[in-house]
Amino acid sequence: MNKPVPPPRLRMALIGCGQIADAHLQEAAKVDSVEVVAVCDMHMDLAKQAAARFRVPGIYDNLDRMLAEAKPDVVHITTPAHTHGPLTMKALAAGCHVYVEKPFTLDAIEAETVIAAAESAEKKLCIGHDQLFDPTWLDCRSRIAAGQIGHVRHIESTLGYPISGQFGAVVAGDPRHWVRQLPGGLFQNTISHPLYRILDLLPDLHPRVEARWDRTKYDFPTELWVQLRGAEITGSLTFSSSVYAQRVTRVYGDQGMLEVDFDAQTIRRHTAPKLPGAFGRLEMPFRQWREGARNLQRNLWRFLKCEIHYFSGMRNLMAEFYRSIQQDTEQPITNAEMLRVTRIMDEIFADCRSREERVEEFVPETRELEVVR
Amino acid sequence: MNVFLTGGTGFLGRRVAKSLLERGAHVRCLVRPSSDVRSLQSFIGHDLWNGVELVTGDLTGVDACRRLIGHSDTVCHVAASLSGGTAVMFLNTVIPTRYLLAAASQAGVRRFVQISSLGVYEAANLLTGAQLDEQTPLDSHPELRDPYTYSKIVQEQVAWEYRAQTNLPLTIIRPGVIYGPGRGVLSNRVGLKLGPVLIKMGGSQTLPYTYVDNCAAAVSQACFAENVDGQAFNILDDGLPTGTQLLRKLRRAGQGVRALWVPRPMIGPLSSVYEWYSRWSQGQLPGVITRYRSDSMWKKLNYSNAKAKAQLGWRPHVTFDEAFDRSIAGGQA
Ligand SMILES: NC(=O)c1ccc[n+]([C@@H]2O[C@H](COP(=O)([O-])OP(=O)(O)OC[C@H]3O[C@@H](n4cnc5c(N)ncnc54)[C@H](OP(=O)(O)O)[C@@H]3O)[C@@H](O)[C@H]2O)c1
Ligand SMILES: NC(=O)c1ccc[n+]([C@@H]2O[C@H](COP(=O)([O-])OP(=O)(O)OC[C@H]3O[C@@H](n4cnc5c(N)ncnc54)[C@H](O)[C@@H]3O)[C@@H](O)[C@H]2O)c1
Repeated sequence: MNKPVPPPRLRMALIGCGQIADAHLQEAAKVDSVEVVAVCDMHMDLAKQAAARFRVPGIYDNLDRMLAEAKPDVVHITTPAHTHGPLTMKALAAGCHVYVEKPFTLDAIEAETVIAAAESAEKKLCIGHDQLFDPTWLDCRSRIAAGQIGHVRHIESTLGYPISGQFGAVVAGDPRHWVRQLPGGLFQNTISHPLYRILDLLPDLHPRVEARWDRTKYDFPTELWVQLRGAEITGSLTFSSSVYAQRVTRVYGDQGMLEVDFDAQTIRRHTAPKLPGAFGRLEMPFRQWREGARNLQRNLWRFLKCEIHYFSGMRNLMAEFYRSIQQDTEQPITNAEMLRVTRIMDEIFADCRSREERVEEFVPETRELEVVR
Repeated sequence: MNVFLTGGTGFLGRRVAKSLLERGAHVRCLVRPSSDVRSLQSFIGHDLWNGVELVTGDLTGVDACRRLIGHSDTVCHVAASLSGGTAVMFLNTVIPTRYLLAAASQAGVRRFVQISSLGVYEAANLLTGAQLDEQTPLDSHPELRDPYTYSKIVQEQVAWEYRAQTNLPLTIIRPGVIYGPGRGVLSNRVGLKLGPVLIKMGGSQTLPYTYVDNCAAAVSQACFAENVDGQAFNILDDGLPTGTQLLRKLRRAGQGVRALWVPRPMIGPLSSVYEWYSRWSQGQLPGVITRYRSDSMWKKLNYSNAKAKAQLGWRPHVTFDEAFDRSIAGGQA
């Protein structure tokens, strides 16, 4: 019997050979439907190093030329956030599908323009919300669907982001770094992940947003607190540069809670004790111990099968996106969702700014109080 | 002499600044808005500080670099990025170097001194015990090296290209591992740190080290010396220890480290196994150790500093024992 012939691989090109480009090129090599044909960067040296390390044949420092000569089917945009909109428009105009890194665009107005262009060109878009496709998050979703915590009521995301880390140090060391020029500064480049993890389970189109940012020893805001209130579900996001590096989301239901730790790749379930009084105090640690043992067993097994990868989610998302192109099915992340996340981010930063302005007005009064004291 | 100095706030750069000032040069020192200027000032000291002119800026374009160079007649380019992924190192080392070279050639400077690294050579293909000197070719597969070395090799290639195109008078300094107070004496050349344990690689290989003050003297000498256009110089001290000798000395100084020893014949095969596993597991363990990298790093070689002594007239005045004591006393940053 003849084996079914797989569809031809799609030609992928990437623009922006910076830090995250490595992950795209590394994960693309693991997806059968992808053939990487070219890389591009405004600096030829950057394009060359990416091409040399990942054995990519096409090397460009000009997007138009890359689009014309390499003729990609899909363009991955891994440049700074403020360039996402214009570069996506160019790739769409050249007839390409586009995978664009988070944050989608500079703001919701630009997002609407890009989405309209994609729809009229009948091309597919993908936003780099890769952690939604991380095996641990997928597992969490299926445990919620199986009713392990009842109805979801509240989601809490924490991002611990020491500025001394790999990405933060680059931003702190350079006052003119592009991240600092974004309307939402450091947060616009970082909170997509913890935010879309909340919004994945909080479906309201217009949840109420309250947000505040604050500074530590740096000359830009480094702490952020966000509250989201939907009709039935609430969310809270904490970004802190003063706690250790962590990516954790807790999903609270009316029957229990699931804690997803993306770095440890573990899920822990908490529920109220079933046994009364002092017995409950024994039951709870026992259950936590059993939960820990299950996580260990699961990760050990995954390790043996070589499944523990930092960017597993990106590979899964990429595979689904490419499949949706080949089979002309629905995108893994809808355009409406990209727009909703972008709009809520806009509201977060607008609220932070308005609060900061109000706080600044109070400054003289505070000084007076100090004098009186 | 008016020297425009980049990286002057760093470990090596501040000593280069001091050495240049002591020899009577005027130093126009680049500082970034985020640089720690106060610690530079206290290091240079009150008496010499008059010879320093600070210019604040970034090497973010040819015009910006041109303004920063001002009327300097010499450029001493020490700045480079020492950590981060390949892209970050390229963005912070290679790209600024391109801008600075173009600006320096526009400014018509009499000399451009660039700090490269002893790691740029193709050591992987040398035979054990071979001589590594300035005749050894640059690595023709820089992409196989670690991100830092890759960026330094390309940075050097870029400088040579500029010289070929514009006749910019260029002198390259290739220091070995620079150590001194605040940096400690252990480095990857001895072995790899895995948490609190040092995986000691071999032990009989000579460590290509240079004490920071000795190295700074060589850099400042390269700014002054005659007839060194188009030359590269390895900078290494005399009387260098092997890895085993260094660890023994540390133990005697009460600073012993817990070490796990990989005997020399095992380094290559173990590196190959790790490299294979990393590839087979599609990067479950990162590909930081490869056969090529370990052949470049831990081979027993004979290093020579004869050219720097002969043509720069440089001498490593601080002996290894003295430098070791000063480094230990200065603690680790
Ligand atoms: N350390 C070694 O073992 C070793 C061995 C061989 C060669 N080298 C070379 O020696 C040189 C100095 O090394 P080091 O150990 O003294 O490094 P360091 O202490 O980290 O100092 C680096 C210096 O470069 C500046 N710098 C970094 N990126 C810059 C950028 N994009 N634009 C402008 N300035 C920038 C830093 O300025 P800020 O103060 O503003 O951060 C700092 O002054 C480097 O070229 C290095 O590659 C070092
Ligand atoms: N999914 C994730 O986990 C993740 C992680 C980090 C960054 N990101 C996102 O990826 C994007 C890039 O971030 P980064 O940290 O890699 O940035 P970076 O600064 O390291 O790299 C950006 C690269 O783009 C190039 N570039 C800039 N403008 C260009 C243009 N107009 N044309 C061509 N090339 C251009 C630069 O030369 C540089 O090489 C950002 O949107 C960021 O939020 C995602």
